[in-house]
Amino acid sequence: MTIGLLVLASIAIITLDYRGHAHGVISGVKRGAHDAFSPLQRGVDAIARPVGSFLSGAVHGGDLEAQNAKLRRENGALQRQILINQSTRNSLRALQRLDKLPWVGATPTVTAQVTALGPSDFAATVDLDKGSTSGVAVGMPVVGGAGLVGQVTLVWSSGCTVRLVTDVNSSVGVRFGRQGNLALVQGSGLGRNLAANLIAPGTTLHKGEVFTTSGLQHAQYPPDIPVASVTSFSSTPSATQETVWARPLADLAVLQYVDVLQWQPSP
Amino acid sequence: MSRPGAAMRVGSSLTTADVARSTIVIAVVLVIQHTLLDSVRVGGAHPDLMLLLPVAAGYAAGPDRGAVFGFIAGLVADLFLPTPYGLSALVGCLLGYATGMATRGLVRSSWWLPPVVAAAATAAGMGTYAILGAVLGDPGMLKTYLVPALVVGTPSAALLAVPVLRFVAWAVPDPRPGHGAVAGGGGTR
Repeated sequence: MTIGLLVLASIAIITLDYRGHAHGVISGVKRGAHDAFSPLQRGVDAIARPVGSFLSGAVHGGDLEAQNAKLRRENGALQRQILINQSTRNSLRALQRLDKLPWVGATPTVTAQVTALGPSDFAATVDLDKGSTSGVAVGMPVVGGAGLVGQVTLVWSSGCTVRLVTDVNSSVGVRFGRQGNLALVQGSGLGRNLAANLIAPGTTLHKGEVFTTSGLQHAQYPPDIPVASVTSFSSTPSATQETVWARPLADLAVLQYVDVLQWQPSP
Repeated sequence: MSRPGAAMRVGSSLTTADVARSTIVIAVVLVIQHTLLDSVRVGGAHPDLMLLLPVAAGYAAGPDRGAVFGFIAGLVADLFLPTPYGLSALVGCLLGYATGMATRGLVRSSWWLPPVVAAAATAAGMGTYAILGAVLGDPGMLKTYLVPALVVGTPSAALLAVPVLRFVAWAVPDPRPGHGAVAGGGGTR
């Protein structure tokens, strides 16, 4: 009897979250829970982090970690700039042909620190320490290291959750090559390469080819953000598309600082 | 004002003291999970104490209390998860109930019983979670995330079983006469 009622209640909650108008209410409750929990999490983290550093054998582990993260972030930003320049040159060639102006990347950013790795084993996400009070909103792209990190999916006042590009539910429209070929890059799980789909057999590709966001109409990301570089590609005679794998340019395993682009997809 | 020993009854079996202790257990485990265990990642997965809660409740207090405890712990866990809200509650109540049913006839004097039950039930819970997630439109939960979650979650559940079981048993004692044993740590009741 009890179990039956609980199962029915659970199914009702799931249904309301999925289809009903209660989704907004549930998101509000989640935001409230994160707001209440964040200070506690930061407090315990402040205590636990030095302990972890001590246990790892580093006498000044905390300082070195912070310095390392800062340098990694600066290095990543420089790499991203180089790749953006390469992509911009490709865009410029295409635009000269089309006689149009390029999209200029003057989007304001919010620098944020990764506070937690994803709480679920069944989704690839991270939490950041900047939220709605800093101007972060759902749908904003997040970049770090040399490329795209993911997209904001939940925001509360002091933080947000970002779905990583490696999550299986992440899809990014990308452009590559001098002809500006289009493809769809999809996540295959944390720590795995991305699958690039919709590439016709015989398309010219090479290892290291960089995919950048396409920025097509109604795209989820602005154009020209480096996403991934090709690691392998193959095709069979009967295949309808190339099998292409690409490594994310952002080093998602060691993320500490990222930039949230204050850009939102058009509705 | 009622003394703790004469705590007011809520419903037919739970007392306000049980509810207060259960709240403490869920809150403490939630903090440990999100501040410490979320960072312990192997192959993209980490130990999941929140899933161990209904298992421990079902083992310690029987199927009905296990189901209620699992439902509430799942609702709380879902607040911090990107997966559909209510999914952990559904898995939690099923897991608490199933663990309670499967273990109620067992003699609980063996030290190895709690780790084995915790590992098996956690594996079953993760499988159920992934299957329901796939049914709800996220096939990646089954195809991609389940295996690493099992590889990390099952042995870590076995390792953490005894302390979690003792903590949960303190909050939700078995109401049945002669039950409520928490084996594996030195004895039976």
